[in-house]
Amino acid sequence: MLEFLTAPLVYPFMQRGLLAAVMVGVVCAVVGTYVVLRGMAFFGDALSHTILPGIAAGYLLNGGDRGALFWWALVTAVASSLGIGAISRGAKLREDTAIGVVFAGMFALGIAMISTVRSYSADLTHFLFGDVLGVGDGDLLRIGIFGGLILLTVILLYKELMLLSFDSILATTLRLPVQALEYLLLVLIAVAVVVSIQTVGVSLMLAVLVTPAATASLLTRRLGPMLVLAAGMAAACGVVGLYISYYLGVASGAAIVLTCTALFLLTWAGSWLRGSRAKS
Amino acid sequence: MRHRYLLPLLAIAALTLGACGQKTTQPAGDLPRIVASTSIVADVVRQVGGDKIALSTLVPVGADVHSFAPAPQDVVTVSEAQIVFVNGAGLEAFLEPLLKNAGGSAEIVELAKDIPLREMSAQDLATEDDHAAEDGQDHGGNDPHTWTDPNNVIYWTAAISESLGRIDPANAGFYAANAKAYNTKLSELDAWITQEFATIPPDQRLLVTDHAVFGYMADRYGLTQVGTIIPGGSTGAEASAQDLAVLQDQIRSLGVKAIFVGNVSNPSLAEQLAQDTGVKLVTVLTGSLTPPDGPGATYIDYMRSNVSAIASALR
Repeated sequence: MLEFLTAPLVYPFMQRGLLAAVMVGVVCAVVGTYVVLRGMAFFGDALSHTILPGIAAGYLLNGGDRGALFWWALVTAVASSLGIGAISRGAKLREDTAIGVVFAGMFALGIAMISTVRSYSADLTHFLFGDVLGVGDGDLLRIGIFGGLILLTVILLYKELMLLSFDSILATTLRLPVQALEYLLLVLIAVAVVVSIQTVGVSLMLAVLVTPAATASLLTRRLGPMLVLAAGMAAACGVVGLYISYYLGVASGAAIVLTCTALFLLTWAGSWLRGSRAKS
Repeated sequence: MRHRYLLPLLAIAALTLGACGQKTTQPAGDLPRIVASTSIVADVVRQVGGDKIALSTLVPVGADVHSFAPAPQDVVTVSEAQIVFVNGAGLEAFLEPLLKNAGGSAEIVELAKDIPLREMSAQDLATEDDHAAEDGQDHGGNDPHTWTDPNNVIYWTAAISESLGRIDPANAGFYAANAKAYNTKLSELDAWITQEFATIPPDQRLLVTDHAVFGYMADRYGLTQVGTIIPGGSTGAEASAQDLAVLQDQIRSLGVKAIFVGNVSNPSLAEQLAQDTGVKLVTVLTGSLTPPDGPGATYIDYMRSNVSAIASALR
């Protein structure tokens, strides 16, 4: 049994992959809890497309240097998320509508920029996409630093963000800077998304952004336990999924995503059973 | 109320007209209008057709053939062409909707049609399948990368000179002579490659690549394709931890000296693999030539650059 667990650790890529899956899982699940509470689940997917113009600009100016592309992507993602905030507030539209508008526009802008050059492919975003099996030491350091900053911000502003998510009217009455906090939250999510994309790729980022938080929200209505549960489940699914990928030969990103999904379905079935038993 | 819409409509009309006015058509004159799918096909077609044809290339130099998105002018180019040369054998699956729906009367010539295609081995196939699932390219069971053996390109020149001679009989002799002269160069290239690879110790003739590009080269010159990494860092991380572990063990146990990656893929997975196993990471050219100032501006330069890179890394 012990050997079953230690055998894959002989490979450095497995050690780095597990570490990355856990760190990305915790950070994404924490910001993902707010994503789920606010009903903006497709923010992550959209953001992975809105960074295209940034990557195109970075590519045209700096070439394929991944370090430079990362900063371009980060700036574009933050700008996009601020744009989403401004549109949903200013135009009084639902946040998911604002995401749709910004996402389509930015993605098309990126395609248009690339097409003027003609010698680059529309798949430029792939230059930035990481792979959980191809994580390097620099990637680990980056997710460690950014992830730490994000978690620290969430902890320091825990009460304020809780009011914002559950009772924004009370938050306004208490004279909290609601608008600034909302923008801050969007920026936190954007940073988490870009750093995760660069470290482990899109599929994995999406999985740990939404599914663990959704699972946790089935189990509790309180923010604190929800954050902890989501983070714990994301980290656990990352580890279990990577072991499944090692022993069954399934693509790593998919294995972790499916582990998250399975956990969600189990939890859902469990809470449904408990609900129907309580009724009878 | 009506004319509230008039201004935007006028603006749209003006933009549309402007865009039409800017349309660039090939200054074809009365030369035969020929289209080639990739830069590699285009170079060989140019060698045979010389200055007697008006040649356009669909997938630009340096672009990833797998994710190429045609622009309207590409559709125009195809619809006005007399012949479209493609590698065939499933490589240009991405072009099929364009070729089918462009209209016009272009004849599509598959250069690989007379080449005995090699089957992908089980391992090549497994990785190529993942590859296909990811970029929508359908390679089927045959290896489409025919050009990695110059002897196959001799089949290409035959098909090209035959097709060009048919639509432009006045210059048929010119095309045939060019093809013959180019075939001589291809044979010289073949001899040179044999010589280069002979300098590699036999037990070192091992290829690990990002995807199975060099099948024909390996078969012809006695190299073994040990394994492939799935193209690193694509949207859906396609490699499994198991595949990567197996590949790493093979690299160690066989003493593989280098990993070869293409010029159009994200190398992060390969970089980490090379670092962990302590072998060299060598960039090679795969589906596209380089710009004129690069090391592989023509097909022959492309082959020489790759063979030199592989031979010096494995020696």
